[in-house]
Amino acid sequence: MIVPSGEMLIGLVPAAVVLVDVHGRVLHANVEARSQYGDALGAVMRAPEAHRATATLPPGGSAHATLALDVPVQRVVQASFRVLPLEDDGVDWGAARMIVVLVDRTEAHAIARMRTDFVAHASHELRTPLASLSGFIETLRGPAADDPEAQRQFLDIMAAQAQRMQRLIDRLLYLSRVQVLEHQRPRDVVDAEDVLDRVLDETAMLLRGRPLLLDLQTPETPLRVHGEEDQIVQVLLNLVENAMKYAGGPTAGRRRDGLVTISVFAREAGRDNDRWPTHSGVLFGVSDDGIGIAPQHLPRLTERFYRVGGKQTGDAPQPGTGLGLSIVKHIVDRHGGRLVIESEPGRGTTCLVWLPAA
Amino acid sequence: MVRNGTHTVKSYEQELGQLRAMVARMGGIVESQVARALSAVAEHDGDAARLVPEQDPEVDALERDVEALAIRLLALRAPMAGDLREIVTAMKMTGDLERIGDYAASIARRSLRFDLADGRISLSGLRSMGRLVQENLRRAIDAATQQDADRAMEVWHSDQAVDDYYTALFRSLVTYMMEDPRNIGPCTHLLFIAKNLERIGDHATNIAERVYYSVTGDNMTGSRPRGTGTSSVDAS
Repeated sequence: MIVPSGEMLIGLVPAAVVLVDVHGRVLHANVEARSQYGDALGAVMRAPEAHRATATLPPGGSAHATLALDVPVQRVVQASFRVLPLEDDGVDWGAARMIVVLVDRTEAHAIARMRTDFVAHASHELRTPLASLSGFIETLRGPAADDPEAQRQFLDIMAAQAQRMQRLIDRLLYLSRVQVLEHQRPRDVVDAEDVLDRVLDETAMLLRGRPLLLDLQTPETPLRVHGEEDQIVQVLLNLVENAMKYAGGPTAGRRRDGLVTISVFAREAGRDNDRWPTHSGVLFGVSDDGIGIAPQHLPRLTERFYRVGGKQTGDAPQPGTGLGLSIVKHIVDRHGGRLVIESEPGRGTTCLVWLPAA
Repeated sequence: MVRNGTHTVKSYEQELGQLRAMVARMGGIVESQVARALSAVAEHDGDAARLVPEQDPEVDALERDVEALAIRLLALRAPMAGDLREIVTAMKMTGDLERIGDYAASIARRSLRFDLADGRISLSGLRSMGRLVQENLRRAIDAATQQDADRAMEVWHSDQAVDDYYTALFRSLVTYMMEDPRNIGPCTHLLFIAKNLERIGDHATNIAERVYYSVTGDNMTGSRPRGTGTSSVDAS
């Protein structure tokens, strides 16, 4: 008769289960545990709460602990431990001493947190256009009550402000959705070409009537990544919108046609370049030839509501919401990818997104 | 089928496993100290602030235990090559971890001495820098527990981003101070906190360097890429 192994048994359990040895080292993690925690499993298992809960457990004993992680993404994990009894139960447990079941509780915590964050940011950012709206309403009621010319002008401004508020709210809601899903790694396989097609369809509208050239560098062979198509499209759209905003900034006093470059290429597994993870992936790049970004701003670009201040932003047709890159970063994090922003003042900016190849 | 009894003579492998486990445990505690210290500052969490120094004695005890076990292994087992490097590295790493714990405790204590609740000073820069440092620390400890040289290399390279954050944060805090003298008090505390974070990042890099040496037997050569005309940031 075949002796069942511990590894085999936990493979059958439809939950994230891990076997650890007497030192607390992970011996086996079943498929669920690996896909849900992957990279973070080490950090989960060495959390001091886990050690505290299990240090004095007798054989056969069980305990629970709530483990909070900050990185790579914030998550809350409910861990249940059982120390294997000493009696022979007919199972080959090898060096395993304890079974650990991990249940993710992040979503509930993230929702609670999101509510407070949303209120804080939204109120702060909505106050400006709202103040402007109230001001114009005041004026329309009073001084401008009999001035149709001024009324028309004010209503245009008010419409623009209302639109800005609308866009801000849409973005905030989108960001919140992305954050709630952040700890769920998407599993679909997405074709880079489909993504590009959709991005081009959407940008075609924005390009109309603007002095911009779009350069597209696509791969000859089909490239596939692990991810959620809608979100990857969103990432590229945000980057392209940014690039279009800054492309062709004033050079020596005269304007020229801006150039936005979108490129997609495969990155083979390897360690020739330490910027990217060592396994194979696909790099999406979006560059502009605009004024560039000073180095002190670079680390902070993905913060919510961070804007490069002053007149650097030039005469952008629409003021940004300050959320675009934040959304990009959260999506890239969720995909287990990497975002790198390079810039040289006066030469332009390049955003590179690495996503794991499928 | 029959599990090892507890009274058998410990094998060399077991003792090495125990050493790794103690380093991992120490890493776990230090990670949680840093996490709590940061939430003490960024979320004004006073309870978290008080918990951080309380974890110090445990870290110190572990440091002593690791040292004792490492010396025992060196004396009794005369390890060679990779094992020798790993044991010596573990001993040195605990020094880095202990320092990181001290910095975290210092940040936590400092967070209790000033109040930023009025929102005049944005903490988002500090939060982001904190997250990056935490991520580097996590990766460094992962690299150590898994003896993974590639990971160590990743940490080593992203320390540049920590330095860039520090520079950016320094500038913005100085700007706050120039704007309004009432900001000088809290901003001075924040400057020290940022400096402590930067030091934590350096120690994480040290750990990465040690792990790289332990696994490959080579030292990480060359200096980290310094800012040239083109600057870049690993924003993930």
